[in-house]
Amino acid sequence: MKQIIYTEWLKVKNYRTFWAMLLLALIIIPAGNFMVADKFTENLQQLSKLVGNPFSFPDVWLTMASINSYISALFGLLLIILVTNEYTYRTNRQNIIDGWERKHFVYAKLFWLVLLALLTLIVATISAILVGVIYGNKPVSFEGYEYMLYYFLQLIVMLTIALLIGVLVKRAGLAIVLFVAYNMMLDQLLTFLLKRYVGTVGGLLPLQSGDELLPFPLVGKMVATSDHYDTYVYILAMLCYIILGIFLVFRKILKSDL
Amino acid sequence: MPILTLQNISKRYGAVQALAGVSFEVPAGSVFGILGPNGSGKTTLLGIVTDVLKADTGHFTLFDKTPTARERRQIGTLLETPNFYHYLSGYENLEISAAVKQRGKDDIARVLDICGLTQRQHSAFKTYSLGMKQRLAIAGVLLGDPEVLILDEPTNGLDPAGIAEVRDLVRRLAGTGKTIILASHLLDEVEKVCTHVAILRKGNLLLSGAVNEVISRNDYIEIAAADNHALQSLLLRYPGCTSAELNGGLLKVMFAAQPDAAAINNYCAQQGIWLSHLQLRKKSLETAFLEITNTPVQ
Repeated sequence: MKQIIYTEWLKVKNYRTFWAMLLLALIIIPAGNFMVADKFTENLQQLSKLVGNPFSFPDVWLTMASINSYISALFGLLLIILVTNEYTYRTNRQNIIDGWERKHFVYAKLFWLVLLALLTLIVATISAILVGVIYGNKPVSFEGYEYMLYYFLQLIVMLTIALLIGVLVKRAGLAIVLFVAYNMMLDQLLTFLLKRYVGTVGGLLPLQSGDELLPFPLVGKMVATSDHYDTYVYILAMLCYIILGIFLVFRKILKSDL
Repeated sequence: MPILTLQNISKRYGAVQALAGVSFEVPAGSVFGILGPNGSGKTTLLGIVTDVLKADTGHFTLFDKTPTARERRQIGTLLETPNFYHYLSGYENLEISAAVKQRGKDDIARVLDICGLTQRQHSAFKTYSLGMKQRLAIAGVLLGDPEVLILDEPTNGLDPAGIAEVRDLVRRLAGTGKTIILASHLLDEVEKVCTHVAILRKGNLLLSGAVNEVISRNDYIEIAAADNHALQSLLLRYPGCTSAELNGGLLKVMFAAQPDAAAINNYCAQQGIWLSHLQLRKKSLETAFLEITNTPVQ
C-alpha cells in the first residue's frame, strides 16, 4: 500500500490542476461557513433570540455540517478527474502492464477517496470550531459532533458515486456532467417524487440519507419530523450505498477489458 | 523453460473473432516475431498476456507460472501506444513507471540516454513529438533492464534513423540473451532480427516456430543468357523447377527444393546455352509471408 500511495503522490506532485482544485474545494468550506454565520448574525438577530443561536456550541456542529453538505461537490469533481485522467492517458493500462494488479488500481483511487474525505472532515471541524468561537456565545464542546460524522459519511457516499461514475463513464466531460446532474438535481428530484407517491422511503436515496440527518437547524426545529426513520436507518442506508458502490467499482475494474 | 505459453486463447469483440484458439510457446532467449496484417489480433494477444484484456477462453503462463503482477514486473512492455501522464515530464513519467515496477530511480538516466531523451527529459510529455513519445515508451520498457521485453510495433512514429536505431537496439538486446517478443506488420523489421515467428491472420494462428523451420524460404536464382526465351523454356524442363518468369533482362527461376547453381549452369551449358548471369537469391520474408497469408484458412 505504501508503494501505491507513493506512486499516486508522484502522479499529482506536479499537477497544477489538482492542487488548484484541492485548494479551492478546501477554501470553500470555511468561506461558506463564515459567510453564512456573518450574514445570519447580522440580519436575523431577532429570530435567533427565539430559536437560539445556531452558531453556539453544540448547535454549530449541525449548522456547519448542514451548510457543508451543500458545498462539497468539488471534491467529487476532483476525484472524477483523478480517475478519468487515467483513462484519457491510458495510464490505467500502463500501470497494470508495468506491474500493478488490477485491484491495486482500485486501492489507489480508494486512497484518494478516503484522503479527500478525511481532509474535508479536518478542515470542516476546524472551521466549525472557529465559527463557534467567533459567532457563538458558549464554550467549545464536542457534544453534537456526530452531525459532522454524518456529514463525513455523506461525503464518502458522494465520493463513492463520483468514483463509480468515473470508472463506468471513463471520459471526464460526460462523467462530470452526470455527477453534477445527479448531485444537484436527480437525487433531490427522485426523493421528492418518491416521498410524494410512495412515502418516507424516498428519504433513503444515497445523498438524501445524509441530508435527512442534517436538517437545516432552524427549519428542523420548526417542522414536525414524523415522516422520518430512526437515525440508524439512514446510517445503515449510507453504509450500504458505500459498500455497493465500491463493490461495483471492483467488479468493473477486475472483470472488464481496460 | 518457456517464457510464455499460450493455450487455446480466444477472444471475441461482438461479431469480430479477434483471436480463435491461439496456442504457441515463446522459448527463452528467442526473438519472437508476432506477424500479421493490421487487425489480425497481435495487440489483442499481447493485451491478454499483460492482463489489460481478458480472454474469453484459454489460459497462459509467464515463466511457467500463473501470471500475476510479479511476473509482469519482470517484463518491459510497450503495448500499442505510449501511455504517459501528459502534464508530467519524461523524467517524472519514468519515476512513476519505476515506482510501479518497484525499482529504484537510479536506472532512469541510463534509459533516457539510450533513447536520446536526456536533453528533453524535463519537458512535459505533451510537448514531445510523436517520435519522442515512442522513444520515451521504449525507455520505459528498458527501465530496470528486464530479461524479457514485449514490443508492440516499436518503430511506430519513428523516422528512418529512429527505426534503424530501434532495430539496432533490439539486435543488441537479443545479443545479450534477452527474450524479445516483437509484434509488427513491418516484415523487414522482423526479418532482420527474429529467430522465431508466429503468424496471425484474422485471429487465427497460421503457423509458429523457428523462422527457418516454419517459413520455407528456398533460394531462387536470377539468370540470364543471350536468348532469355530459349533459356526460359529450357529451365521449365529442369527437374524441380516450379516457375521461370522473365523480369526485365533477368529470368527469375523458382524451385521446389534448394537450387544447385553449379548443376544448373552445367545443365544449360550441355543444352548449348551459355549463361551471362547467374545469381543465387534468398526469397524475402515478405514474399514468403504473403504466400502464407494469402492461402485461405481451412
